[in-house]
Amino acid sequence: MKRIASLLCAILLGTGLAAAGQAAESTALPPTSIYRIPPLTLIDQDGRDFTFASLAGTPRLVGMFYASCRMVCPVEIETLKRIERAVVKAGGRPVPVLLVSFDPAHDDVAALKQAARQHHVAAPEFLLTRARSGDIGMLGGVLGVSWRPLPGGGFQHNVVVALLDREGRILATDPADGRVDPAFVRAIVQQERDTH
Amino acid sequence: MKRILATAIALALGAAGFAGSTHASPLPAGWTCTPALCGAPQGKPIVEHLLPPPEVPPPITRRYPATVIVNLEAKEVVGKLADGVKYDFYTFDGTVPGPMIRVRVGDTVEIRLKNAHSDHMPHNIDLHAVMGVGGGAANSIVIPGHEAAFAFKALHAGLYVYHCAMAPAAVHIANGMYGAILVEPADGLPKVDKEFYVMQGEFYTKGAYMQPGLQPLDMTKLLDEQPTYVVFNGRVGSLTGEHALRAKEGQTVRFFFSNGGPNLTSSFHMIGGIWNTVWPWGGSNEDHNVQTISVPPGGSTIADMKLVVPGTFMLVDHAAVRMFNKGALGQLVVSGPEQPDLYRRLWNKPFPPSGTSPAPAAASSTH
Amino acid sequence: MPRVPTIVLLTLLLAQVACAGGAPRFVPVSGGRFVSSLLDGTRTVTVRVAPFAMMEEPVTEAQFAAFVRHHPRWQRGRITPLFAGPQYLAGWRTPTDPGDAGAARRPVTGVSWFAARAYCDSLHAELPNWYQWEYAAAADATHHDARADTARRNAILAALMHATGQRPGLIGRRPANLYGLRDLNRLIWEWVGDVGALFPEADGDLGSAGSGSVLRLCGGAALAFRDPSDYALAERVAALSMLAPTDASPFVGFRCVRNPGANP
Repeated sequence: MKRIASLLCAILLGTGLAAAGQAAESTALPPTSIYRIPPLTLIDQDGRDFTFASLAGTPRLVGMFYASCRMVCPVEIETLKRIERAVVKAGGRPVPVLLVSFDPAHDDVAALKQAARQHHVAAPEFLLTRARSGDIGMLGGVLGVSWRPLPGGGFQHNVVVALLDREGRILATDPADGRVDPAFVRAIVQQERDTH
Repeated sequence: MKRILATAIALALGAAGFAGSTHASPLPAGWTCTPALCGAPQGKPIVEHLLPPPEVPPPITRRYPATVIVNLEAKEVVGKLADGVKYDFYTFDGTVPGPMIRVRVGDTVEIRLKNAHSDHMPHNIDLHAVMGVGGGAANSIVIPGHEAAFAFKALHAGLYVYHCAMAPAAVHIANGMYGAILVEPADGLPKVDKEFYVMQGEFYTKGAYMQPGLQPLDMTKLLDEQPTYVVFNGRVGSLTGEHALRAKEGQTVRFFFSNGGPNLTSSFHMIGGIWNTVWPWGGSNEDHNVQTISVPPGGSTIADMKLVVPGTFMLVDHAAVRMFNKGALGQLVVSGPEQPDLYRRLWNKPFPPSGTSPAPAAASSTH
Repeated sequence: MPRVPTIVLLTLLLAQVACAGGAPRFVPVSGGRFVSSLLDGTRTVTVRVAPFAMMEEPVTEAQFAAFVRHHPRWQRGRITPLFAGPQYLAGWRTPTDPGDAGAARRPVTGVSWFAARAYCDSLHAELPNWYQWEYAAAADATHHDARADTARRNAILAALMHATGQRPGLIGRRPANLYGLRDLNRLIWEWVGDVGALFPEADGDLGSAGSGSVLRLCGGAALAFRDPSDYALAERVAALSMLAPTDASPFVGFRCVRNPGANP
């Protein structure tokens, strides 16, 4: 009886529960696909919006950043560019990059656009995005990216860039700290070859 | 992974050379690794057979370096601190101290640490026998229900403390999370008849000494370094009465004595005995004819005594309040015939107070 | 079928009764300036905590059971390995039933950070960040900041130690604090949203989630706390910061926070 009551209770609890309950289950994806995080809608530097899960289908590098970051994030973006150049040099083809901001309060489309211009990166190969809806904490959790706002502004955070296969499984990660790790480059080249 | 570790160790040793090879004065042979002594591990890995204190694993007869696997489990247990007094202990393998580990210099030691599913806290292990950051602590942190492993090469012989180093380490150690590891010199220690493993440690309880019931840790006493209990092997009475250590006259006994602390230095002494041979700091330096050995928290001593007369001998921390009022007392019962040449009772009788007139019989004789 | 409406009415009534006892209640926590017990590197951190609303009690087993029944993807056995390991709700009788007579009053534990987050999200709430949790837990029945009270510290540490080897006790055995919040300090550890960022590495960057690098070595921990003698807090932070977000511990539960203006 108690169980029935609490079940009803849950049902009656309202819209919040119901909305989350209706979230589509992406059953086609493998269990460890990070595209299985609860729905996340993103908007990029050109104002295009799309769901995170819609990016499945091609290998990709995924990381997080924030646009007003002075030190670590510019290094992250520049490292990714160097990694991509190393991939080409090794006979591979670059894989698209997705960076998601963990500072949605400040990173509007204009700020993303500005950051893209500064670093000479462009969509669709290099997406700088922020969330329009959904919980970016879930993405941070699966990538191993943590952040914490500093009282004086900005964030204390780490950097992890993950190489995803076409179905969203993490194959390798890199701290994108200025060094180009040959093993990470090899992993990208290999994955890119396996896919095509 | 294991192969990578072994390779890394081999490379490190090859590149840096052995610790003792450039020393100016000669080191006692066999106590420190040399390339000849401590090559790659041979034979099958050996799984260490662990025993509860005060038992000591048998001396190592093997004369080549091997891989030794040590399986330990962090366990939080409610146990007896004294008669009628209980305490929530943090332990290795459920005992205070944790089991004594015995390896040979040059061995590659693989520490595998589990943390019991029922535990609350993360735990780890820092072995003072390790040359490496944190003594293994950083590579052995386990949350409840997890296990971790790391390997190290035992470069230096000696008796070393191990303990949990999780924050706040003072609490983990004050709750009993320590033990000892003996790294034997290449040819072993001189043979003795009996070996015992004893560790000193303090407990800081809310209730006064011997106040019954489950006693919580008193943080204020711990911070003030004012323990309620100072004990051997984790509780009052662990080495007395039916638990007393036993030996025979004529035997030589050896104590592997370490101090878990967390705060007090022990003045290790056997009432009625002189240590014949002592490795005072648990290292290669040898000393003889020592009454009391200073053993700091996180330190050890190896002490041998030839038992020449029978009786019950008290093992104490000679800081006297600790033995009388806080529990730092053990017993060694030595059986055998009396040896009047060495020690005998003469008399015990009244004598006259000074200043009183001599007894009449004695006074009359000279006049 | 003339009896059906009666049954519906009856069950609705019962459900309402159950909801009154079962739905989480949020209480307002006035904000303020607060000096964190955690250092930022070597610096003391003063934070301005904005007003927020916090669940007066930790989420109960019964509440979490209702959540997983309604959201099967968070049930044991269905949850993806991305979000939880084998210890997730391992003590439950079935994936949807804690099998505990005290479920309505026992804090749910054995939940991963992801699942805790999803639960809060379902209430349009979120996990508190460390500063919010610390701020709320600093209060006793009469003071906003009772952290310097050594008798209280001692009692908290004793309560945590006393729990050795036992499952968490029931909610509500002790009086609420000044804000009306219960059982923040002595019952369980609670997830915070920024658990992965609790401790920066020496060079200012963060380690990966669950690394807690500063706490790994016994001496280093003294460098992480403003008052290293607050052992109860150090135990809590050590226990939490060693967890990866997929870990589920039988002693770690959670509660949610939300905007103080949000409707219940």
